[in-house]
Amino acid sequence: MTSAPASQQVPPGRIALAYEARPSRFVSFASWWTLYLLTVRQHLHGKKWMVLAVLFLLPAALAVFVRVTGPNVPLIVIEFSFAYMFIPQALLPLVGLIYASGIIQDEQEEQTLTYLLIRPLPKWALYIIKLLATLTTAVCLTVLFTGVTYVAIYAGSHTIGVPERFLKTAAVHALAVTAYCSLFGLMSLLTRRTLIVGILYAAIFEGLLANLPLSIRLITVIYYSRVIAYRSLSFVVLQFRRPRDVAAPVWRIDDLSEHPQTRTCILILLAACVILSVIAAYLCARKEFHVKTPEKP
Amino acid sequence: MDPQPTGEIPRSPEVKPLVAFHDVSKWYGNVIGLNKLTLRIPPGVTGLLGPNGAGKSTLLQLATGQLYPSQGSVEVLGQKVWNNSSLNRQIGLCPEQDAFYEWMTGWDFVYTSARLAGMCRSDARDAAARTLESVGMTKARDRVVRGYSKGMRQRTKMAQSLVHDPQVLFLDEPLTGTDPVARRDLMDIIQRLAERGKSVLVSSHVLHEVQSLTSRIVLLNHGRLVAEGHVREIRDLIDKHAHQIVLVCDNYRKLAGRIIHWDDVEGVRILAGQSGLLVETRAPDAFYGRLPELSLSGDTPIREVYSDDDNLEAVFKYLVNK
Repeated sequence: MTSAPASQQVPPGRIALAYEARPSRFVSFASWWTLYLLTVRQHLHGKKWMVLAVLFLLPAALAVFVRVTGPNVPLIVIEFSFAYMFIPQALLPLVGLIYASGIIQDEQEEQTLTYLLIRPLPKWALYIIKLLATLTTAVCLTVLFTGVTYVAIYAGSHTIGVPERFLKTAAVHALAVTAYCSLFGLMSLLTRRTLIVGILYAAIFEGLLANLPLSIRLITVIYYSRVIAYRSLSFVVLQFRRPRDVAAPVWRIDDLSEHPQTRTCILILLAACVILSVIAAYLCARKEFHVKTPEKP
Repeated sequence: MDPQPTGEIPRSPEVKPLVAFHDVSKWYGNVIGLNKLTLRIPPGVTGLLGPNGAGKSTLLQLATGQLYPSQGSVEVLGQKVWNNSSLNRQIGLCPEQDAFYEWMTGWDFVYTSARLAGMCRSDARDAAARTLESVGMTKARDRVVRGYSKGMRQRTKMAQSLVHDPQVLFLDEPLTGTDPVARRDLMDIIQRLAERGKSVLVSSHVLHEVQSLTSRIVLLNHGRLVAEGHVREIRDLIDKHAHQIVLVCDNYRKLAGRIIHWDDVEGVRILAGQSGLLVETRAPDAFYGRLPELSLSGDTPIREVYSDDDNLEAVFKYLVNK
């Protein structure tokens, strides 16, 4: 943040407001960039990231525990269990839900939304910029702690290609968390009980239905993440001198030809993000936010 | 002052209204915020008076485009306000709620407000410094808002509403809960804004706050326009009722001992639970006028001054039933 200049002396009893309020040449950019920074700073000053950091350290801690107690367990199995089961199944929806549900609702509950609504910022832009700032925080947190998990899994081993596996995993997780933020951001404009609805969605759709070999999993984020990961990385380990694919039976990917290509999966997730965000921005532009006065029952 | 039935306000066509409400109603489910309000507020300073729940905040939120009218239309400076974000360049709002980004410093808060208003960095720095100076917050500007007193918070809220040099200022209960010195300073700021040709709509539930700022007032009660006009006429009505003023002071027993000698004080009651006094007076102007000096001198600094709605309610009942 820019430091304060020395204050300007004002004659006693006089109000010093006789200046020319010259707007920036990039008026919208100044407002929008400030809102973006403000939202990121809000995230950094909040306690959410600390809670999520503790949760994100859990797979890393468990990975270390498994390596210590079961030195013969293949590292790819540990990676699959924690980087591809624990994190995407439990943590990424949670990160998206916790951050995106508060894009507008947090400001509303803390009654600071008024300070944004009375600025020359269209409400659709308010939502989009705060969403982008939220995505920045969520993606950074996800990539950072995915890295920590990989260090916990592979530190001290001589496995080849770990950085490449990490980068691909981080990219898949970043894409997934972006999709969750877009989804839960929209949800937060439709209901005030976003946390409850979001947890139910994550448990039923991303948890239960995504693990069934049914076409309904095509509407889940985790399905596309898995297909991208499965097509990009090998999850084959040698067991009793025979290769064994640890991912296919768990993810119910029997015949890869029946599943979409990596590019299609990425496009579907990105398109979903854009569509969900556009709908949310449209709703935000039309919505009336009650900061002080009573809510409609 | 004549009580005005809704929608029958005399209009002066030669004066272009600053704020125009035409047959505006606002419902929150079954709760009525405003009820068929037609009102034209001319440029200058106007006091918006009414007890808590009268619809003052709803009116200000409608005028600043935060709420959409359930019925009717709202215009400010001749423009529709709903979803008209560019109009916000010309509008400033000091909201009633005591909400901030608590982790920010006062400087950061006002500077950020200037940047959000679209000002470039150098102008925002300049404007934030000048505005904080004008509200007397220069010394405390680098402290975190979380540690501010009520008066400092009100001053900072005022600064954020002024920082982009708006043409029209909406102030929602700006003096509530402030100490006598902050109260005097804030009123001074509002008066100087008026001198500079700014238009101000200031809401309050205390007549004597408003009448120090302007003689033109609008009275609301239960979401309806009760009356509008010159303050002198309502003063005559309101002075028939004793004014009850609460003073919060750590040394409240000693303060009571000093106040009880004042001729215009008719009664003093100790409010031990609030560390304060409930004072009854029929000369509120003189009483309020002596408070800053009383607070600054001796060992009875007054932390907070507020007036409840009782006397105003009585006047509203009188006007409505008339």
